[in-house]
Amino acid sequence: MFFRMIRGTFTKQLGKMLLIAFTIALGASLATAMINVMMDVGNKVNAELKTYGANITVSPKGASILSDLYGVEEGTGDDEFLSEEALPKLKTIFWSYNIVDFTPYLKGRVTLDESDVMLVGTWFDHHMETPSGESLDTGMREMKTWWDIEGEWLTDDDDDECMVGIGAAQKYGIAAGDTITVNKGGSSAEYTVKAVFDTGSDEDDYIYTTLKAAQELFGRQGLISSIEVSALTTPDNELSKRAAQDPQSLSAADWETWYCTAYVSAICYQIEEAIPDCSAKAIRQVADSEGAILEKIQLLMILITALALIGSALGIMNLVAASVMERSQEIGLLKAVGAHDIQVIGLVLTEIMLTAVLGGVLGYIAGMGLAQIIGMTVFSSSIAITPVSMPLVAVLVLCVALIGSIPAIRMLVKMNPTEVLHSN
Amino acid sequence: MKRSSFYFKMVTGALLRKRSRMLVALLAIAVGATIVSGLMTIYYDIPRQLTRELRSYGANMVVTPADGTKLTYEEIETIRALLPAENTVGTAPYRYETVTLNSQPVTAAGTQMNEAAATSPYWNISGEWAADDSSIMLGSKVAQLVNAKVGQNVELEADNGAGEGVKNTYTVSGIVETGGSEENFIFMTDTALDSFMGDTDSFDTLECSISLQGDELSGLAERINSSSDRVNARLVKRVTESEGTVLTKLQALILIVTIVIIVLTMISVATTMTAVVTERRREIGLKKAIGASNREITTEFLGQGIFLGVCGGILGVVLGFLFAQYVSNSVFFRSVSFIWGLVPVTILSSVAVTAVACLIPMRSATNIDPALVLKGE
Repeated sequence: MFFRMIRGTFTKQLGKMLLIAFTIALGASLATAMINVMMDVGNKVNAELKTYGANITVSPKGASILSDLYGVEEGTGDDEFLSEEALPKLKTIFWSYNIVDFTPYLKGRVTLDESDVMLVGTWFDHHMETPSGESLDTGMREMKTWWDIEGEWLTDDDDDECMVGIGAAQKYGIAAGDTITVNKGGSSAEYTVKAVFDTGSDEDDYIYTTLKAAQELFGRQGLISSIEVSALTTPDNELSKRAAQDPQSLSAADWETWYCTAYVSAICYQIEEAIPDCSAKAIRQVADSEGAILEKIQLLMILITALALIGSALGIMNLVAASVMERSQEIGLLKAVGAHDIQVIGLVLTEIMLTAVLGGVLGYIAGMGLAQIIGMTVFSSSIAITPVSMPLVAVLVLCVALIGSIPAIRMLVKMNPTEVLHSN
Repeated sequence: MKRSSFYFKMVTGALLRKRSRMLVALLAIAVGATIVSGLMTIYYDIPRQLTRELRSYGANMVVTPADGTKLTYEEIETIRALLPAENTVGTAPYRYETVTLNSQPVTAAGTQMNEAAATSPYWNISGEWAADDSSIMLGSKVAQLVNAKVGQNVELEADNGAGEGVKNTYTVSGIVETGGSEENFIFMTDTALDSFMGDTDSFDTLECSISLQGDELSGLAERINSSSDRVNARLVKRVTESEGTVLTKLQALILIVTIVIIVLTMISVATTMTAVVTERRREIGLKKAIGASNREITTEFLGQGIFLGVCGGILGVVLGFLFAQYVSNSVFFRSVSFIWGLVPVTILSSVAVTAVACLIPMRSATNIDPALVLKGE
């Protein structure tokens, strides 16, 4: 009898039940999409913020600060360098997966037209195999997205070519296509200018060439003077700030947590472990700002998600309440022929729950699709599905449908069948 | 007169008599309108808020003097006057001089500390900012080099403008850590460096952090350049270009999320309204039986829909603004401005949605045979 009545509702009032299921599906899809997007937005925005470039620099431990000052550098023979062979080790640290890009530099002053100019050797789009068997393309091109290049980027095979900053180009009257000769001590090299670049910073006065060409010119085979690393990091908190001061001051448990979280200080520490005699430091301008922006965006998305959830919950609740109340006549009749309150409630609830399950499942599937559409449109990459979103949405939909039925059920229990059947 | 007042009575009467039904419909519309107005306010406010947030990346414009010259205090003030006050986060002038510390040559930078703190919020200072002319801050590499601690006194030596050797003792108030070249510098107030060097009006750069982007910012740089041929304003590409990229992405994110939420909510408002109207078939039947035309019934229902749409819309405008205000306060610690243009948009969209939602079931409802409905399905 019970099932026949339920079947009756779904066949005779199919249109109405479908409308309710559709509304529940809309709410559920909104909830699913927003929860998934919200959970993944941190990673996505973090990846976008990589456009600001490196957030860690690695330099030799005892590097003198003098080299940055008015050209007093090397020559004394006690300058410190890192070994180029150590580079793949960056991809062996605990958080190697979070290291997105890195670029080695070998800097030195050379003579061009009888005046000093900074020459930098680096990787542009270097292909390498890491010890873990991963293949990786990394270099300046990925890390300096804001550079304005007139001409073409160098590639790693262009050992006879160079790129000149706009400041240096103006000073020496160099244009793309020219050939320049630079001198370093006894050796000299000739490069064809492939491009002139504009960065709006100090690099505008530099000349860039390949790492190999620079090593040859400086006679520093296999050596580099610094590395810039771009890593995905977790925003700093109290623990990581304490750790950055002195990792040894942490308790064993704190140390473990810190080491196994992608804080910029933890990644620096791990780089120092992996590469001998180096000092890895966070570039505060990038690292700190990243954390601040990330937190804001996440909080913003949480609040918008909350609004969407409350909105869809109220919508569903509202419709459920309305549709149950409208059935007072039918229920009055049931009560008049002797149905107990419990039976009536059971009937109404079963119908609502069946509708909610149907709507919820459809909505969940639609919501996953919606999340991917958002991911593809905005970030051109898919949104990772959060496993917890399924139970969360299920509980939400069922609770909302249940709560939506409560006022209606109370009214149904209280009502007097004769009154209802008589009036209206 | 009589006819229109009867119409009004019918429109409001139906709503007032069935209070629960009215509440359901009003709630649905108000939720929809709140979401529309709240999210639209946030969307319109987001570029302004994020541009300001992204200022944590530091200066986005640098003004330098023409080759071989220095900027004077007067010129700094002239440039500052050109900047829009409400968008200026900070403008820090820097004077660089070579000094000797423990017989090591180091660059000393003289600046206005409160402005430097505003333009470079990412500087990590152990200790305190140099507050007066007798204290200095050391870059962390300099501190390491001379093994200096906070609170210690250090002696600086230099050749002043007149070529005479000068000496002075300063207290280290803080150590600056940035991960960049600033760690190789000594920082002191501009007045301290001026009195140490014995001359004034010789700034090398002015770093500006301005919460504008794109064309507005480059336009500002051009205005500064054309104001005087003694100065050259450049944009810091790393910051400005990246900011454009990031801002576009974040704005696109908020836009698409807003669209998805608004569309879905509006559809669910429409279905709720449809359900509410469908339930009134008996009433329609009765009205037809006593001689109402289809047109009259439709007008009446539409009138009720529009009435509810306006009420819900107004409610939504208020609640939506409160929501946007709450979000802005808790995320950005700033308040949003009320956008008057959104009031008609919110009310019109809720009226449109309710009107459409009323008309859909009306087609089938007006075609019913009154006798059949009144008898009971």
